[in-house]
Amino acid sequence: MSGDIVAAAKLIGAGLAMIGALGGGIGIGLSAHGAVQGIARNPDAAGAVQTNMILGIAFAEAVAIYCLVVALLILFVF
Amino acid sequence: MEQSNWRWGFNRWLVLAFIIASVFAARAYPPIRPHVQLPAEPLSHHPLFTLPVIGDFYLTNTLVALVLVDIILLLLAFSIRQQAKNGGLQMLKGIGGAVEAFLEALYGMTESTAGKWAKAIFPYFATIMLMVLVANWMELIPGVDSIGFLEKSAHGYVANGSFLVKEEVAHGTEGFVVVPWIRVVSTDLNFTVALALISVFMTQVIGVRAQGAAYFTKFWNTHTLFNKPVFGAIDFGVGLLELISEFSKILSFSFRLFGNIFAGSVMLFVIGALVPVFAQSAILLLEAFVGIIQALVFGMLTMTFMAQATQGHGEHHEEAHA
Amino acid sequence: MEGLGINLGYLLVQIFNFGIMFVVLKEWAYKPILNMLETRRETIARGLEDARVAAEARANAEQKAQEILAEAQAKAAEVVRAASERAGEVGKEVKAEAEAEAAKILERARADAETEKERVLADLRPQVAALAIAAAQKLVGEALDEKRQRALLDEFFSGVKSGKVVVVEETFAGQDVTVVSALPLSNEEQAAIQKDLGAAGVNFTVDPKILGGLIVKAGDRVLDASVAARLEGMRAAIA
Repeated sequence: MSGDIVAAAKLIGAGLAMIGALGGGIGIGLSAHGAVQGIARNPDAAGAVQTNMILGIAFAEAVAIYCLVVALLILFVF
Repeated sequence: MEQSNWRWGFNRWLVLAFIIASVFAARAYPPIRPHVQLPAEPLSHHPLFTLPVIGDFYLTNTLVALVLVDIILLLLAFSIRQQAKNGGLQMLKGIGGAVEAFLEALYGMTESTAGKWAKAIFPYFATIMLMVLVANWMELIPGVDSIGFLEKSAHGYVANGSFLVKEEVAHGTEGFVVVPWIRVVSTDLNFTVALALISVFMTQVIGVRAQGAAYFTKFWNTHTLFNKPVFGAIDFGVGLLELISEFSKILSFSFRLFGNIFAGSVMLFVIGALVPVFAQSAILLLEAFVGIIQALVFGMLTMTFMAQATQGHGEHHEEAHA
Repeated sequence: MEGLGINLGYLLVQIFNFGIMFVVLKEWAYKPILNMLETRRETIARGLEDARVAAEARANAEQKAQEILAEAQAKAAEVVRAASERAGEVGKEVKAEAEAEAAKILERARADAETEKERVLADLRPQVAALAIAAAQKLVGEALDEKRQRALLDEFFSGVKSGKVVVVEETFAGQDVTVVSALPLSNEEQAAIQKDLGAAGVNFTVDPKILGGLIVKAGDRVLDASVAARLEGMRAAIA
């Protein structure tokens, strides 16, 4: 019975941990927003803007990835 | 093209036929949700060999995928080598030409970022990029992740011949799960962590090659510690943070790739089990896109970090305070 | 770590695998492709350079051609100028020569005409004399001695009577004189005039307008002993 409670708590915890992915999502959305605006204003710079956008997205995504790591640790390790 | 002149097309009827066929297939053999497991499954019950410190070594399904990736890349490289040997230094033909155009684009990107260090950085960028790309796109091949041995498991399904049936087993008895022969190597943390370790380690190596011992002042910054009382202390703290960020790079590199591809394959399972007809096709397109984006991100971040390591930290700092 | 499936053995396998792939791809794929890029870039650069050199050479050639053309044009103009100069000179010479020739011809023609005139007048003299005698005979009614009449006429025309100049008294010793007569004089008359005037040289000219007698010119002195002058004097006296 206590094992079941622990298992349920793990699942809830993992789900809660992934709430952090919200920040990453917002960040990625903002960077894409800026990049698209920049490309729309200066289509010639599309290559450079895309490169920097992907880098920025990667950094923003890192936060969401920490959440994923925590969720995976809760689910599979503890 | 005779078919394009047909009023109602031809391919759309093929698509419709496949959709109808998949409806019948899903009725006959309802898809089941596979068992999701984080570590790679061993294919052999007995270890291949046992090493003194490390322990048992099994042949896992991700290792099979890794060998496949290696074979594909080696064949590509070999064909390029043969063509370059025989045909002099002309244009490459066939798939070699595509690889050449791809690598040329990557080299142009490297050159515009890293300048004269492009020649040293490019092989890491290109190798990571090619390996991750081929590994990711292997996920799109039918049969990968879905054909394998049936293994006894505590929470499995009833097996009917070589298929699993969507039927919960009676309580207390053992069911079966599929252990796929091939599982995408990007969903094995060993692969991604190995790539991340190499990437970060080689970044330090290239930084030392470019700047010598001065490279380490980036982490242990005592230049301004005594001249500028407040900012010096901040600079020192920033240096320590840089050191921490090098380790967090390993984490973010490895888990970004792993997370994206693992989540993608889980999404394919779940969508396939919930909506067996047609929905997976859209997800497969998305996964193809995610696969190349993740490969590009992994390679490009490596390249950018290496390029930054070749540039002195000092100049950047002066600019920042100016 | 075990839960995440990370295992040192697999990790090392992956790292070694990456190393192998890195070396193999670098040797077999990146090197030829980068060489290809390099050679292609060099080829393009060389092509551009060649094109630049060729364009330069063409520009040079054009300039040289222009120079040669200008030189040739200058030379041609020089040749033409020299030729026309020489032609002008030659023409001038020819013209002068021709003019001289024409002048000579004209002179000769004039001289010829003069002598012809004199010859005609000389031929005329006997007839004039005969006419005068005939007129006188009609006038006087009697025939004078033929010889005496001729002498009278000769005197009338030449002013010389039996070897003496009768119309002019002065002598012109050692001077050059011009003697004008109405009709050409005979050689004897001329000799007589020269002897009688005592002149160093006598130039005889003919002018029918004086009718008869002589006009002697010596320097700026003019002795008018002509019939026309005497008639004029008579007309003035009568009037």
